[in-house]
Amino acid sequence: MKSPTTSIAFDRPARETAADSFAMWVLIGSEVMLFGAILLVFMFARLSYGDAFAGAAKHLSLPLGTANTVVLITSSFAMALAHMYTAARRWRAAGWALAATALLGVVFLAIKATEYAREFSEGLAPVLGAPFIYKGPDPVHAEFFFGLYFAMTSLHALHLICGVIVIGGILALWPRTIEASRFRRVQAIGLYWHFVDIVWVFLFPVLYLINR
Amino acid sequence: MSEFRKLTLAYIGLLALLALTVGSSFLALGGFNSALNLVIAAAKTAVIAILFMHLASDGVLPRLAVAAAGFWLMILFGLTLIGQ
Repeated sequence: MKSPTTSIAFDRPARETAADSFAMWVLIGSEVMLFGAILLVFMFARLSYGDAFAGAAKHLSLPLGTANTVVLITSSFAMALAHMYTAARRWRAAGWALAATALLGVVFLAIKATEYAREFSEGLAPVLGAPFIYKGPDPVHAEFFFGLYFAMTSLHALHLICGVIVIGGILALWPRTIEASRFRRVQAIGLYWHFVDIVWVFLFPVLYLINR
Repeated sequence: MSEFRKLTLAYIGLLALLALTVGSSFLALGGFNSALNLVIAAAKTAVIAILFMHLASDGVLPRLAVAAAGFWLMILFGLTLIGQ
């Protein structure tokens, strides 16, 4: 980047960019702790109540879960392209790639909402005071599975909603943003977005692919 | 290799790994199903981190942050497993 730094705290743009990326990676590290702790709880529950969890997991929709994984991987690809175009100063292409990323994020959320609606109507959502009706074996631990499922996927969806809002903000301010700031913003949201994708990469097999 | 080509190959690789993980879940491999799923998830993470997030080429600081997170995760999982 030949542009000057956007903050007076740095003497060179390269140092500013390095500080940005380090800060985002530290944030990602703290997020890893959050999701790691929940995954650990799930792992132990799965080891203790394997049969109940395997039975309960069969009630999740594998086609919708797989489709959502494809959508999210594609959104990450679009985000990587946005970063590439920003670095090459191809601003129009970068803007379109960012818009595509956010749009795919919305598609993911829409598919997730469809799944949630189905699970609520089938009585498989022990959240928000909804009744839990489960005809399979060991309903107590199946309820635990669905509780964890909703906790993990809604926390992930919340992260995705934040990402979509931030991309929307970046795009809204895009014409008025100086070039150096455009690059910094796309780099920061890019790291965040890819991390949210990685979280799903673990949630998908852990939740949807138990003993199919 | 151009950046676009590299990113496209990473994308295709991620889709192939997804197909592999979904496909393998239909085979009865006992405990290996879960292990295979986790290995594939780790491989996908490596592709995303290295090719999409430029983890290997952005200097030493990002790798330091990842190593710290990995170390704390090891304590979290390790001490919990010891307690079992």
